[in-house]
Amino acid sequence: MQPDLVEQDFRQKVCAAVSLTQEGLNRFRVFNPFLFDDGDQLCIFLKKEDHSWVISDEGHTYMHLSYQLDEKDYQQGTRVKIIENALSLFSVKDREGELILPVEDNQFGDSLFSFVQALLKIMDITFLTRERVRSTFYEDFQGLVSETVPEDRRTFRWHDPQRDPHALYPVDCRINESPSPLFIFAVQNDEQVRDATITLHQFERWNLAYRSLAIFEDQESINRKVLARFTDIAEKQFSSLLGENRSRISTYLQKIVN
Amino acid sequence: MIKYTDDEIAQRLREAKPLPPDLAKRLQKMRSKRGHWELNLDFTAPSGHRYRLIIRQNKFNHLDFSVILALYPHAGGQIFRLRRYNGKHPHRNILEKTNFYDYHIHTATEKYQAQGAAEDAYAEPSSDFYDLHSALQSLLADCNFQSLDAQQPGLF
Repeated sequence: MQPDLVEQDFRQKVCAAVSLTQEGLNRFRVFNPFLFDDGDQLCIFLKKEDHSWVISDEGHTYMHLSYQLDEKDYQQGTRVKIIENALSLFSVKDREGELILPVEDNQFGDSLFSFVQALLKIMDITFLTRERVRSTFYEDFQGLVSETVPEDRRTFRWHDPQRDPHALYPVDCRINESPSPLFIFAVQNDEQVRDATITLHQFERWNLAYRSLAIFEDQESINRKVLARFTDIAEKQFSSLLGENRSRISTYLQKIVN
Repeated sequence: MIKYTDDEIAQRLREAKPLPPDLAKRLQKMRSKRGHWELNLDFTAPSGHRYRLIIRQNKFNHLDFSVILALYPHAGGQIFRLRRYNGKHPHRNILEKTNFYDYHIHTATEKYQAQGAAEDAYAEPSSDFYDLHSALQSLLADCNFQSLDAQQPGLF
């Protein structure tokens, strides 16, 4: 292998795979070698707007996502976080569903690379099935608790070994060695909220001394009646694990531990 | 993982399906989403198989649309796209190493499923349609949609 020949081949092939075709006034389709997982090429356009050039997907990326996902699936929870991060990282803007990146200082090549990376990162969310999204939430929850609470003070997936040997009333995490333990529930859907409600009622019947905390993936998605019944018995709740709530949850846990 | 063999895909495409009622009217009332208009119609064939008709029209580019016939797997899980009628954009068949830039029809295949690609990653160019309505008419004709109500007028 001669590195200079390989480099030359790389340059020829990669450069040849990018081309422009004019389709309208000051509007060009950017042919490129990057594909969705169904073989369709990323839709990229170069357009002139108000005397400056922008790279745009003309709304195709979200439309493509909608073949596999409902809009609510990629506009909330873990997936929207991934999309927001991708847009922010590569300075891409979401203009009413059209993703655009203004070309600054005639840096057309750099802008194209950034735009492509953003689109590919966004399309990765299709690999997050509902089941995987759930586990991502639970992993995030475990990560946050592990960062905040020492290992010898926490037990994930706890159940009362004496009263409940078959783990019918599990708790996602038990923070122990405090006057009364803190039971934490990481909940994502109505069914889990109902289970947590039943578990807390059972603990009341057993006269356990405890405190309780619920962390929702997205509290707004929970049925109002289900949530109301849970609220009657749960002590403290956080509506999500996102944004500033992470530090609020950490602070709350630190107070409990200390 | 292969969810459906080529024979099963062909059977699902061939089997009679009910023409969704008021389709033309529903097309007039597609829901506005981020950058596109959309309509999803669920229905059950006389065989008992459950399907979804997925219709998309890009707001920024009228040549960018999609009409999809998808199947709900008996075992649950994500819908399986049997056929997709797409507007004009570049496509590459990764396994055959063929490229084209045209209106095209995606079809689910066993071969692509076996490679872990999207089930409908194989596509062929088509001159049967040129916009959303003609693509929908092509799909309805190709996938054996039938009016169960003799009084139901034509679609468009």
